[in-house]
This record gives sequence, C-alpha cells and structure tokens, in this order.
Amino acid sequence: MIELAADFDFDTWGVPSRTFLIIYLVATVVVVVGVLIFRRRTLTGRSAPPADQLGPQQVAYLTGGEDRAVWSSVSSLRSQGVLGVGPGGELTADGPLPTGATPLDQAVHYAASQRCSARQLRRTEWVTRALDQLRDGLSRHDLLVTPERRAALRLGTLLLAVMVALGVARIVAGIANDRPVWYLVFIVGALAVLTMVLFVRVPRRTRAADAALLNLRHRNRHLAPGSNPAYAVYGAAGTAMAVALYGTASLWALDPAFAQQADIQRETVTGGAGTVTGDGGTTAGAGGCGSSGGDSGGGGGCGGGGCGG
Amino acid sequence: MTGPHGVGIGWRPEIAGFVAELPGLRFVEVIAESVPAAGPPPDALVELRQRGVTVVPHGVRLSLGGAEPVEPARVAHLAAVAELVAAPLVSEHIAFVRAGGLEAGHLLPLPRTREAVDVVCANVARAQADLPVPIALEPIAALFDWPDDELDEAAFLSEILARTDALLLLDIANVHANAVNRGTDPLALLDRLPLERVAYVHVAGGAEQGGFYHDTHTDPVPAPVLDLLTELCERHRPPAVLLERDGRYPPAPDLRAELDAVAAATGFPLVT
Repeated sequence: MIELAADFDFDTWGVPSRTFLIIYLVATVVVVVGVLIFRRRTLTGRSAPPADQLGPQQVAYLTGGEDRAVWSSVSSLRSQGVLGVGPGGELTADGPLPTGATPLDQAVHYAASQRCSARQLRRTEWVTRALDQLRDGLSRHDLLVTPERRAALRLGTLLLAVMVALGVARIVAGIANDRPVWYLVFIVGALAVLTMVLFVRVPRRTRAADAALLNLRHRNRHLAPGSNPAYAVYGAAGTAMAVALYGTASLWALDPAFAQQADIQRETVTGGAGTVTGDGGTTAGAGGCGSSGGDSGGGGGCGGGGCGG
Repeated sequence: MTGPHGVGIGWRPEIAGFVAELPGLRFVEVIAESVPAAGPPPDALVELRQRGVTVVPHGVRLSLGGAEPVEPARVAHLAAVAELVAAPLVSEHIAFVRAGGLEAGHLLPLPRTREAVDVVCANVARAQADLPVPIALEPIAALFDWPDDELDEAAFLSEILARTDALLLLDIANVHANAVNRGTDPLALLDRLPLERVAYVHVAGGAEQGGFYHDTHTDPVPAPVLDLLTELCERHRPPAVLLERDGRYPPAPDLRAELDAVAAATGFPLVT
C-alpha cells in the first residue's frame, strides 16, 4: 500500500515511468525509422549510371575531389603529348587539343597556354567553371550528394537530437525524484550514439557511386601502381583512369620528370575509397594566372606575355 | 589440361590489362619465379585460367646448365607453380645463372661440350623426377661461342633431347640472333633440329647494334625473325607460338599488330 501510494505521489512530470517509457520508445522507433528511410532514399543514388559509363574525370572527382579531377586531365593531356612544362614550372600547351577532349581538358589546355602552373590550375576561372560543370553532372546523375541534401540529412538527425534531449531531461528529473531510470538511460544512450554517427557520417558520395568505384577498382587492378603498369599500352584513357583511381602516384610513375618540374603533389597510394575534398568553395581571381589565387609566390607564375588572359 | 595452342603472349603484370582483353587468347606464359609457391597466383592469371587459357610457368633461375646439381627447392617451386595454374608443362633454359655461389643475374651460355651435355641431362633428370608435368628446354641466344666447343648447336640440342624426355622450346629470335652473330645459316639449324619435339616457340623483338643482333625483348619483332618463323612452320608447324615482350611496351594497337603479325607468319588464328 505504501509503495503504491509513493508511486502515485512521485511520478515524474505526472507521467508514470512505465507509460513514459512505452511512449518514448514508440516515438523513438518512429523517428529513427523515418530518419533512416529518408537517409537511404537520399544516399542510394537510384538513377546513377553503371560504372562503365563513368569517364576518368568523373571517377577522379568521386575518389579525390577537384584536385584529382584536374590531375586526371593533366595526365591524359600529358600522355597525348600536348602538355609540357617550362623551366619555371609553368605549364605549356605543346599542341592542339586532342579529339575527344572533355570540357575540363579544354580548360586545362587553355590554362596551360596561358602559362599557369600546375598548382594554379584549379583556381583559374576556366578550370573552376569546368569543375563546376563536372560536379553538377555528378550530382544530377545521383553520384554526388549535393550540399543541400547533405544539410537536409543533418536536419533529419536533429530530430533524433531532440529525442535525446527529452530523454536526458526525463532522466535528470527521474533521478531528482529518486525513481528508477536505468531502462531510459539505456535507450537514450543508444539513441545518442546513433544520432552522433548519423550526424558525423554524411557521405558526399551516394552508395551507387561507392559501388561503381569498387567495381572500377576491381576492373582496373592492372592500373594500380604496384603492378608497375605500362602506361603506353593503356593509352591516355587508361592513364587518366589510373590517376583517377590511384592518385598522383600514377602521374609520378608515368612521367617523373614532368611531375617534378611541374611541382605536382605526390600522393601516397590509398587502397580504399578516398575522400572527396571540398565543394568547390575557392573561385578564381581576375582570370589570368598571375592574378589568381594567393599562393603564386615563388618561381611559378606566368612567363612571357601570356598572363592576364 | 590441354597443351599450349595457337598464338600466345608472355603475361607480365605491366600489361595484365592488355592481355585480359585479348578475345581469342588461349595461351600465356608466366615467369615462374614471379608467382609465390604458396599461391595464390595473381588474380588476372586466375581469371585467364577460368577462361580456359593455358598458363605455362617459364623458369629463369633453375640453372640447368650449372655444374652443381639443380637446387631441389627451386624445382619444388617450379612444380608448385605448375600445380597452382594447372599447367600442362613447364619450361626452362639450357643455361647457367650461377656458379661457385655467385649469381650472374643473366642466362649464360654453356660451352657445347660432351661434359656440358652430361651436366644438363643430369640436371634435367633431377628436375623431371620432382616435376608433375613435362619440361620444355629453351636454348638461349649467345653473343659468343666458347673456344672449347666440341659440338655445333644442332648436335648439342639433339643430343640433350635424345637423352632426356624433354620437349623443345625453340626461340626463333635466338635462332636468328645466333645465326647473325656467328655468321651461320639459321635454316640449316632448323633442318637439323627434331622439330616434332617442339612444344612451343618463342618469338621476341631485338635490335642490331654494332654488327651484333641483340635479343632485347624490348623492341618490335623484325621482319627477318617473322620470315624465319614462317620457314619453321613450313617445315613443321609447332603447336603454339608465344610473343615475349619485357619492356618499353608500345601502345596497345602496336602490340596487337605484333600479335597479328605472328599469327600471319604462322597461319594461326588471330587472337586480337
């Protein structure tokens, strides 16, 4: 009798523990399932094209972001003999644009004709525009998750955070009331972990893109630097795909003298899927290479009269 | 487990992607020492095997011509690789690569003496005892002859083949090289070799330099070598011909053209 009375008297917030627990659990399950369904829909990438329809530069963007897309284009142009490097590290266009050149190839080729250095390429307005185009195409094809959709995913996770906050408040009040709170602690703890994971892990690539990359890595194992591939045999497309999948280590293996002279950053080979860096925040300066970016100090910069295009 | 047939190519990791795309390919060779005895073989080779492509392990370090008995561990390795790729046969060179504990790093020619024949035959017999499949022996190219040669090339090879059960792996580019460098007639050699014992033929590129022909494996196959291949096939067509390329790889279309030229010279179907 005494216990019963006590129960009644001290129910936290006037809601009995058992009732709160059941309502809270049901609400949590509903919100979690909803968030997961939304997440799955957003990240699946249902309309993504099959792996064999992806070009090297698309693959490069997916594995290593803007930098790697540019390096993939550079390696393709270099292996076709239309890209050179001057004594100051500035690029040179050594021939007409090859047939089948992508918009990024055109931009890189043009920037080279303006004697930009390899590191400046990404900040020139031509290359920036081509990269935007490349990125938009990947988003449109359900391979990249747009910043808007990533924000929406984070917002969904916020619902879970609200549930966690409510649970924590109830636990605090319950403890103050000297009520048993262990079940709730367990549930809220699990929910907090899930919320954290879902908030932190908002991928930039869709699952379809991940699957396509896995497929391409398997299919192009012969291009891995460890196989010491004969790039001449695989041609410009093979070389561009090697850089797309394995980074500038492949470019260094292909043409060490060029890579060194052009001061191309040497990446170590990564086995797993890399990360996509940046959403393209940096934009070009006034156009020509001399005036773009802030880090053209040193010997790079422009030569001759090609500057300020 | 069918023996090698048709036009093949030496499988190398550097060109694995090219080899994998050859639609008509039935036969490749892999450097035995590049495959770990415990396996697994490279994925690309496993995939070729699954396609029914015959894989022949080609040894380069057994030193069958060495004065000391062939090392059991090296034979065991060759045997293990043969099992791994379900090879119908293995091949090795009639040469020595080490002497007195010193590694030459090259295939060195033997003096063509009766004593050398004895040495080779003894080593081949030791190897055969531990190998699960037949062995084919490949004579090597040499820029010089030893001063104490007692036998000519044909007699030397015929004697070794007669005394062992081994098959012959004839390198047609070596035949050409030896003829050019020694001023002998390559056709006369072909006429005197037991051509019915040829398991398959190697063909490779080379370059002439300072009056000598170098069997480089890094240059295109010259026309005289292809002509010699045709001459060989007119006498007795071997079951298979394999293109060896070991460096300075050309663009894929050029490599395909080389394979097509080998097919044309031998009358085998195109593999490209």
